[in-house]
Amino acid sequence: MNEIEFGRLLRSGTTGFVVGCRVNQLDAPSFGSLVRVPLEDGYQVYGVIYDIHIEDDGLVRQLITAEDLPEEVLQDNRENRNVPVEIGVMAVGYEKDSRVYHLLPPRPPLSLDSIYLCSPSEIVRFTGAGFGYFRHLLRDRDKPVEELLAAHLMAARSAHIAAENPGWFQAALEELTAALRDDYPRMMCFLGAAGEIDV
Amino acid sequence: MAIPKGKKAEIMDEIKGNVSKTEAGTIGYIVGGGLKANLQARLTVPPQQIQEGAFVVVESGGWLFYGLVTDLQLGSTDPRFADEGGQARLSPQLAQLLHGQTLYTNIEIMSALMMEQGPEPGEPGYDAWFQQVMDEQIRPEPVKTVPQHHAEVRLARAGDIAEIFGKESKAGFFQIGDTLEGQHPVCINLDKLVQRSAGIFGATGSGKSFLARVILAGLINHGKTSVLIFDMHNEYGPDDTASDTGARVPGLKGKFPARVRMVGLGRGATIRGKQPDFNLEIAEADIMPEDILMLSQELNLRETTPTTLEALKASFQNNWFHAFKNMRAHAYVEDENGKPVPAPDSVEAWAIQAGVHSSAAEALHSKLRRLFNASYIVEEPAGNALQQMIDHLDHGQHIVLSFGTHESDLDYLFVSNLLTRRIRQVWERRTNDFRSGRQGAEEPRQLVIVVEEAHKLLNREMAAQTTFSTIAREMRKYYVTLLIIDQRPSQIYDEVMSQLGTRITGWLGDADDISAVLTGLAGRDALRGMLARLQPKEEVLMLGWGVPMPIVVHSRRYDDAFWEAVIGKGVRRSNAEILDELGF
Repeated sequence: MNEIEFGRLLRSGTTGFVVGCRVNQLDAPSFGSLVRVPLEDGYQVYGVIYDIHIEDDGLVRQLITAEDLPEEVLQDNRENRNVPVEIGVMAVGYEKDSRVYHLLPPRPPLSLDSIYLCSPSEIVRFTGAGFGYFRHLLRDRDKPVEELLAAHLMAARSAHIAAENPGWFQAALEELTAALRDDYPRMMCFLGAAGEIDV
Repeated sequence: MAIPKGKKAEIMDEIKGNVSKTEAGTIGYIVGGGLKANLQARLTVPPQQIQEGAFVVVESGGWLFYGLVTDLQLGSTDPRFADEGGQARLSPQLAQLLHGQTLYTNIEIMSALMMEQGPEPGEPGYDAWFQQVMDEQIRPEPVKTVPQHHAEVRLARAGDIAEIFGKESKAGFFQIGDTLEGQHPVCINLDKLVQRSAGIFGATGSGKSFLARVILAGLINHGKTSVLIFDMHNEYGPDDTASDTGARVPGLKGKFPARVRMVGLGRGATIRGKQPDFNLEIAEADIMPEDILMLSQELNLRETTPTTLEALKASFQNNWFHAFKNMRAHAYVEDENGKPVPAPDSVEAWAIQAGVHSSAAEALHSKLRRLFNASYIVEEPAGNALQQMIDHLDHGQHIVLSFGTHESDLDYLFVSNLLTRRIRQVWERRTNDFRSGRQGAEEPRQLVIVVEEAHKLLNREMAAQTTFSTIAREMRKYYVTLLIIDQRPSQIYDEVMSQLGTRITGWLGDADDISAVLTGLAGRDALRGMLARLQPKEEVLMLGWGVPMPIVVHSRRYDDAFWEAVIGKGVRRSNAEILDELGF
């Protein structure tokens, strides 16, 4: 299997974790992607990227104010900086003994564990096991949940279409409208975001 | 899982080859409501597929609940979904998501009956159970509980309707129309219909007369009951022409020539140019003071009338009408002193002698002139037409009394009340003889008296005096009941209305009339709106004691196909009977 590792764990908890990576690793993960952290035998934790965060440092602050910044300096600072890119991941389930659970993981991954982007077949396997994991995505109202859902649906939809399961997207939309039907602002926000997906 | 009983009836129908083409699936699920309030169900089909008055079945916990859709309501989880029309901003695929989730339709179901679901065909006990249903040992009962949340709601199938309202193949059941959805036949139990007085109501032009003809044809064809029709406008006996379409409308006489007798009022009366079977004349001696009192309103009689009539009866006994008629008004002769005194044959002379106020007697004499001049009141009738009518009714014949040229309210009130009083006396005597076990006394034949423009006879003022209200109140005690046909039920005395067993009503516009028809029934509010929105000439609402539950039916057309089905029914019915014998 072509595994795409893109970073290691910085901080971790039951509901989510933060991954650190270098800037040159950043072309792999994207907002809404499904990721996994393999732990011991047969146990791995799944998550969805909800935030990609680039912190500044003292040197960047100085360089920003400098005039006529040479291109080499700019590239050097981007690629060899000391501060990692931080990627926020929401825990949405786990796999144990080849069975997928849409529950929060019993134990969070540890720091410096490697994190991988899920392949289309892994996406189909996890999201095809029902829509229970939407609970976790919908829970945290401080995050841009509707945008996150739209980004996730877009990625998962193409994986399901490739797996000849075009009905998944419609079913997911129906599940989400049912979940949001009592919340007008969030519903309209979600439908607005979902409308951007090229149907 | 036990299959619903409706399904079994369908299987039965299938065997008989009359399976319905439009089978109904689930239309929604129960979301709330109660016994007192109606049940609420969420629709899972577009609202246009369901109409008010639709007959629905809810399956829950081994029971079937039967009800009527009384209302449809649009709802939304948040009013903003409904208000803002956000769907215009969304793609059709996404906008569709809102329907059914945030925007929905609820139906209100007035549940009326419930029945236990039986075992499946092939299961042990099925045959025994099915036989019980056929023998009516298992019957629908009034609803006493509610279905569970999320219980499935579906439109009734032909089998459900047959279980509740019976099948025409069964003796005494007569198809009155079809359900609005699915066009399944709805029957009425004719034997039950005539057990209590019944009413057919509807505004002018709502198809009342046609419906009455359909029911009368059913009653006459059934042959268990004799029918006496007071045909004020010559509508029922002879062939007629429809006032709106101009089409020829066959009369009962033409279709049942041997069973229906036409009676004309007055000597030499003809009905639409044809000779009646016999003519009815009323003997002066048959007229009682109460027959006159009943006309108080029509003749504008004074409060002194009862006293005067009593004095007349006391003076002349049964001959009072004849004697009074022949008195002269304002006739004077001179006495020996040349002074004018009342002539011996004058009203005044009798009044003085009888101790009655003379001007009251003269006023009554002048007001009764209309009756004195009525050609059908004679001293010596040519034959005993009344007895003839009773004999015919006894022998299972049916009488249509045509008023011919005597079309005024006065004639109608006077003749119908007098005849009814006499007939009821005969039936009362026979019933008493039968009940007391007198030798040779037979059970009287059930008689239905059909009264048009019934509010003229049964209004608040008249109800106390006419025989009709007595008949309506005492129900079938004396084997005589009424079939009232009227357009202003609000004018009929409420005590009479509340005694009506079966009410079949077409469209009514007036709020008072609607309330009157619904007097004394459960679920009035729900039925009220339904009644106001019936389609004239097409739909009727059946309700009351005589039908298992209220239902809106698309009434049967009174046309050639109807007559073919009714008169030519013998052949077809035998097939059904053979199947019945085989156990289906």
